[in-house]
Amino acid sequence: MNSNIWLLSVADSVAIATTLILAALGALFTERSGVLNLGIEGMLLTSAITSFLVADGTGSIWLGLVLGIFLGVVLAGIHALLTVVLRANQIVSGLALVIFGTGLANFLGKPAEGRTVRTVIEPIDLGPLTDIPLVGPVVFGQDPVTYATLVIAVLASLYLFRTRSGLEVRATGDDPATVDSQGLSVSSIRIRYTMLGGALVGLGGSFHMLAQSAAWHQESTTAGIGWIALSLVVFAGWRPLRLIFGAILFGFTLQLPFTLQAEQITFIPSALLPMLPYLATLIALIVLSRPSRRNLLGAPRALGTPFVRDER
Amino acid sequence: MRQPPFRVIFEQRAETPRRLSALVPLVSVLAALVAGGLFLTATGYSALETYSHMLDDGFLTYRGITETLGLSTVLICTGIAAAFSFQMNLYNIGGEGQLYLGMIGGAWAGLALGPHLPSFVMIPLVLLIGAVAGALWIFVPAIARARLGASEIVTTLLLTYIGANLVKHFINTPGSFFLTEDSGFPQGRNVAESASLSPIGNTRLYPTFFVIVILAMFLYWLVKRTEFGYRIQVIADSPRAAHYAGVNADKTTVAVMLISGALAGLGGATLIVGPFARLDQGITLLGYGYAGIVVAALARNNFAGIIVSGILFAGLRVGGDKLQISSDTPKHIGIILQGAILLFALGGEAFRRYRVRVVRLKVAAQ
Repeated sequence: MNSNIWLLSVADSVAIATTLILAALGALFTERSGVLNLGIEGMLLTSAITSFLVADGTGSIWLGLVLGIFLGVVLAGIHALLTVVLRANQIVSGLALVIFGTGLANFLGKPAEGRTVRTVIEPIDLGPLTDIPLVGPVVFGQDPVTYATLVIAVLASLYLFRTRSGLEVRATGDDPATVDSQGLSVSSIRIRYTMLGGALVGLGGSFHMLAQSAAWHQESTTAGIGWIALSLVVFAGWRPLRLIFGAILFGFTLQLPFTLQAEQITFIPSALLPMLPYLATLIALIVLSRPSRRNLLGAPRALGTPFVRDER
Repeated sequence: MRQPPFRVIFEQRAETPRRLSALVPLVSVLAALVAGGLFLTATGYSALETYSHMLDDGFLTYRGITETLGLSTVLICTGIAAAFSFQMNLYNIGGEGQLYLGMIGGAWAGLALGPHLPSFVMIPLVLLIGAVAGALWIFVPAIARARLGASEIVTTLLLTYIGANLVKHFINTPGSFFLTEDSGFPQGRNVAESASLSPIGNTRLYPTFFVIVILAMFLYWLVKRTEFGYRIQVIADSPRAAHYAGVNADKTTVAVMLISGALAGLGGATLIVGPFARLDQGITLLGYGYAGIVVAALARNNFAGIIVSGILFAGLRVGGDKLQISSDTPKHIGIILQGAILLFALGGEAFRRYRVRVVRLKVAAQ
């Protein structure tokens, strides 16, 4: 067994996990406020190609990241407008975003097809620390966005569970009528957090492009990470800190087939392994759905239901 | 905080004017085309030229319209699958996964039973086994929803990924039953001849199109005219009223979801007796199942309307895909338009359901 391959594979899992955590955090904030946005995959793709084109055109990674985030916010804004203001069906609007975003990204990406971006996000050089055997490459060999993501996830957890605004978000997702009777605007909270979610997803898409893929290959650029992020939120019980562990686990199984192939391990059906996190999430979801255990699951109770004051 | 000087008020309409119901989808399509045209012009392409190519290749030529009708077969199928559950406020968004399973089931039947049975038995059998496989794939979400209240949105979505990995497993595992040995790379084995239909004439349209259209009309009748359809409407409109009227909502939930899954599975099986004739992992990239939800949404879950919106979306896909031959506009404009039509339709829906008024607020005296 070649320990280098396994180490690389764990380091890769952490890197894939960064995109996953960012996208899932975006979904988490949106869902905590009671809005379900299935459009993550389309938003990731649009942000990815935007950041590619901007970073490649201007040579500035940061400008690429900023505009990538902006596009995430714009698409999330469309979702908020349709579902919160105009009360459209959240599921259908989310799917429309996936289709619209995928088409938009591939349209804009036609000139970039197969090309590598001029500048990429480089890992931080921590000198001797990175050379520590085993833990070095995993803990100290990552790039600034990866470290920032972990900080964001911790801050998100503190914000949601330890501040008044966080309480308001959670209350809006659980019981909008009560929030309304407290004189707060349910619509305003939902619009703001849907757009905040869009910003995080946009950052995820841009990061994925500029640090992970570096080359544009249409839909396979994000390879369904947006959908995985949605499952991950359920897996993590709508809690930011659990997302970190879930994302590393999902990331690990995602690249496991390649590692097994490199190690020429064939007795495990490698195509079935990526199924396991979904299966685990599914089983957890069903087991925790009994009314008595619902609180363990942590799903926002008003998720997916529009709030209409006069129809109460 | 300062209040804005006006307020937008949504008044629920007691009754939707008929003309609005027809107008909203029409205007959405037009608005999306105009927005798409502006986008094309802004990005330096000719909108008029692009649209005329798409119209020709998707709808107006014999070759184009037959290919569109051929593709619409599976989209109408996944469309009625989505609508059947959506009309009861059950959101089976895993039609994509049930479609994969229908394809696996159909391919299995075509490979295992095909050599022993004649065509007139095999074709219905492949379609039936595909439908059963689709229904099986939604069985757990259906029971979990009815008994435990587990969100079918998430469970059906998760099962789509498990289904996609299952397809990849059957195609990438050496020695798999579904594989052909004649090819250098992993590829599905063609089903027996008795299990596949020939297209009509020199086209890509298969007779299954007519079967699916008749099925959609049948469902239209089932929902509007039978006791089962009435029960669905009552549960959808008021679960509590249904409960007091003695309607068994759990049973109906399971039945509706199983039928929805079966319809999506049937869509996968039409690909086996039709254009694919084998299990192909390329199906996981085509998104026919997700497209069905869009088709159903544009038709507002009306089964007759789904036939029209299914053909419209198929035409946009076919006309769009041909752009890479007919012009230098990226073919993805077809996909952008599909998304845009739906986004506009969703926005327009608000004006159909609510009377929207902007009211000036009186400025309070200081």
